[in-house]
Amino acid sequence: MKKITIYSVFLFLLLSLEGFAQQSSSFISKGASISFFSSAMLEDIEAKSNLAGSALDIKTGDILFRVKNTSFQFDKKLMQEHFNENYMESDKYPISEFKGKIENSGQLTKDGNYTAKVSGTLQIHGVTKAYATMATFIVKNSIITAAASFDVRLADHKITIPSVVGKKIAEVVKVKINATYKH
Amino acid sequence: MQGNMKSIICTLLCGITTGAFAQEDLDKLIDLGNPKNEKVTATFKSGSLINLKTTETIHRNELDFKVDHRFGDIAGSAGGSKNFFGLDNSSDIRIGLDYGLLDNLTIGIARAKGATEIRQLYEANLKYRFLEQTVDNSVPVSIAFFGSTTVSAMEASEDKNSAANFDDFSDRMSYVSQLIIARKFSSGISFALVPTYLHRNFTAFNEQNNMFAIGIGGRAKVSNRIAVVADYFLPFRQSSKKQYRENITGQRYYNALGVGLEMDTGGHIFHLNFTNATAMQESQFISETISSWGKGQFRWGFSIARRFSFDKKPKE
Repeated sequence: MKKITIYSVFLFLLLSLEGFAQQSSSFISKGASISFFSSAMLEDIEAKSNLAGSALDIKTGDILFRVKNTSFQFDKKLMQEHFNENYMESDKYPISEFKGKIENSGQLTKDGNYTAKVSGTLQIHGVTKAYATMATFIVKNSIITAAASFDVRLADHKITIPSVVGKKIAEVVKVKINATYKH
Repeated sequence: MQGNMKSIICTLLCGITTGAFAQEDLDKLIDLGNPKNEKVTATFKSGSLINLKTTETIHRNELDFKVDHRFGDIAGSAGGSKNFFGLDNSSDIRIGLDYGLLDNLTIGIARAKGATEIRQLYEANLKYRFLEQTVDNSVPVSIAFFGSTTVSAMEASEDKNSAANFDDFSDRMSYVSQLIIARKFSSGISFALVPTYLHRNFTAFNEQNNMFAIGIGGRAKVSNRIAVVADYFLPFRQSSKKQYRENITGQRYYNALGVGLEMDTGGHIFHLNFTNATAMQESQFISETISSWGKGQFRWGFSIARRFSFDKKPKE
């Protein structure tokens, strides 16, 4: 009987230790920023969200990004309304998400500047597509700062631009990401 | 032996549990904030359906230029091929400019031809949306106040029985107050209920100076950019005055009913509609619509709105 108790305590300790170890390999970024830029013949459009959420695990290399489409801020509110109502259909598809892996994520345990390939799938407007890009990571005092940029072709995500506004919205939009991760 | 077994099981268990954790962890770590109190947007696409004002205001520093047109009767005694199904005539034309003082406060001026005895209308108006529906339904409706003052610039009539027999400047004025209560039921379906109070300083003999009415309207999306819209106004008339007016003019009063299509082309909102109302100003079409759907006295109407934004933040 006593033995069982000891084992349970041991089991509990081990579990909690493991739990801690797990936590220390995962980092969270609250208020990550995602911006995109569309440059067309008649108009440049820029929007930014500072309310994206991200988490990464340097042990497994898993990385996850999520952003509410309605959190993107535009210079012109009418554009923001059109973005949500006509293009992203934010009622139906409220969140855009990236799920991916960081190559050689193990190196991020030590302070330094790194460049690593990140590849995974991006879901926008209900359509999932594979993406890969190079990202930079700066590790200092167990704070990871990450930055990346990549291009998104609107047609790949079934976002259609009516011909009347074709000269105002680019077919390919540049996306920039900045995130600061802490434990 | 027994002890060994247990420690093996124990280690196995630990391995399994932590393995499972790693998969879910990242998912749980992301918190995109509480969606509480997030406001419902785009209950309607423009400031009015056909005859009914909606809760929508334009954003701060935006200017909305809007042209409304109502043609003549499509069918009935005044319609048909002889006036090209009403397209030869225009019963009312309205040109309006609105400006967003705040995101929920719009002021506007308009000129309308006028479609009752009273013509040459100049209108000043204000719309203030003081309550906004929230996504979590803690606020179930949006409510806006719309008020307008209209003055007629027409020449006063000599006829003592005419509604245009103005003595004073104040005789030329009329007022509209509306409380617009709207709810977006789903991404594609919205309704509005609009209790309305009209006051006309001067009317034809034995016509009501004050009138209450209830307006109802709705919008249903049929595709991403096209919606069906409809609205109806029920005025509460004093039956003795109504009877008197109908006897003396030989014309019956009808309630305004409109149905239409709303198209969003990105920047432009285009309305194509049918209504029996000839006028566009609330103090006219609610109180004095004398044309009837049943007699073919309905008309094409369209409205084109173009919004301009003056809000350009400096580049970072």
